[in-house]
Amino acid sequence: MLPNTMGSETNIKLPFSFIIFSLLALVISQILLLVNGQMVVNGSFRIPAIWSAAHLLILGWALMVAMGAMYQLVPVAFLTKIWNEKFGFIQFFVTAIGIASFSWMLYVSPQNALLPGVFMLLGILMFLFQMFMTLRKQAKPNILTAFVGSALVCLFLTIFLGITLIYSLQTGFGAEYYQAIFKSHLLMGVTGWFTLLIFGFSYKMAPMFSLSHGFPMVHARYVYGFYISGLVITLISFFSDNSYLLKAGFFLLLVGFSVFSWHVSIIIKKRLKKKLDHSFSYALAAIGLGNIVHLAAFIALWTDQFTNLIGPLVYLYLLLWIVLSIMGYLFKIVPFLWWTYKYSKEMGKKAVPSLKDVMNEKVVVPFFTLFVISVLAVFLSIIIKSILLFNIGQFVLSIVFIAIALTVLGVLKK
Amino acid sequence: MNLKEKVVEALKSVYDPELNINVVDLGLIYNVEIKEDNDVDVTMTLTTPGCPLHDSITTGVRYAVQGIEETRNVDVNLVWEPAWSPEKMTPEGLRLLGR
Repeated sequence: MLPNTMGSETNIKLPFSFIIFSLLALVISQILLLVNGQMVVNGSFRIPAIWSAAHLLILGWALMVAMGAMYQLVPVAFLTKIWNEKFGFIQFFVTAIGIASFSWMLYVSPQNALLPGVFMLLGILMFLFQMFMTLRKQAKPNILTAFVGSALVCLFLTIFLGITLIYSLQTGFGAEYYQAIFKSHLLMGVTGWFTLLIFGFSYKMAPMFSLSHGFPMVHARYVYGFYISGLVITLISFFSDNSYLLKAGFFLLLVGFSVFSWHVSIIIKKRLKKKLDHSFSYALAAIGLGNIVHLAAFIALWTDQFTNLIGPLVYLYLLLWIVLSIMGYLFKIVPFLWWTYKYSKEMGKKAVPSLKDVMNEKVVVPFFTLFVISVLAVFLSIIIKSILLFNIGQFVLSIVFIAIALTVLGVLKK
Repeated sequence: MNLKEKVVEALKSVYDPELNINVVDLGLIYNVEIKEDNDVDVTMTLTTPGCPLHDSITTGVRYAVQGIEETRNVDVNLVWEPAWSPEKMTPEGLRLLGR
């Protein structure tokens, strides 16, 4: 049985529940994609199985893993306990049942997906409430609070815009703004919620995993200022349909991300740990890749190919920045949780393994390298419209995803 | 070997599981005080406030000292002032970090 607490930290079962669910969702989403691969290759993206797989990947995996990580990292980063752990477990069950039934309903009977969708929504709103109540207890809010708090606001806006989108589709309400709402939904979900969250926690995890000391934190304010301004101006540009504002917004997002990359490189230069863990190195590489995508998106704005390029660029941003960061940090977070369960009570009594011994680090380089190559292959296949390349890239990507999920779950046997 | 030396030796068996370096070489132990009736006070810090291994490491320190036969009560005082810095590490600790 899992121990209930890590002392002053979160009940360990809580983040674990989210992370295990997320890994199972990842495996199922990729099996669905593999089984229905032929349909995708034939250009049939809008089929129930693909909707189901996409929602399992983004909500079942990425969102659930982010929630689980927050239940573990918020007390660590903000030195405050989770507001109500019991409420956290209820939130887990509501969200898990909501996402599982929503994805299942999309697969078997999409027209009846509304009720499980409402259940899922309730779970996400409960999470937002839990985090709001936790963060307001923090004695001394800092720049990390600003990043994580703003990420939560963006998550709320993503949901709000998503509901507006469905309402608009069904009733025709605000039909003239449908495209603007859709773009804003994507912007808030991808660059708002996920990016701001990773920025915030990177400021805690990067120094921790590299044992950096004596680095400046002033840059973080500029990152926040530029990135938030970029988000707001880009949002305004969508609704005003103003291309100058769109360029200004993308420019500010690029500057914000670039300052973040620069700042993390300063932190890493100040490290004491000379040799970094492979998984953490990939999480750092994801920052560089995200920066390149921001630059590419800004350059694309000045060409007449922007509308053709933005879709594949969003795909690259999601996979090479957000997913790669999450996977890199998962290889650090899951061993920690398992080690705490299995060995923390033995420390000082007998020799215990290190965190590195708990995770099979040898697979990181081949798996993560294959992941990056297959994502680039899928990206290229969309650009050059090669069905064969798409087929190969997506097949390898699904296999790598499953292998990574099983490797992380394999920690539970150590 | 006197009791204080035995305590320091025992503390060398407590490792930061992330860095795989013991708490003594990592410079986390600020003071070991042996009282008259062999009660032991350990004053220590961590590399960063809000370290997720906070409880594991402090509990490990307590167990390691309690494992020495002569000791009675063990108190572990976790302090943040003075803050930990790399200068507090031993040459062996720095070597293990590749420095």
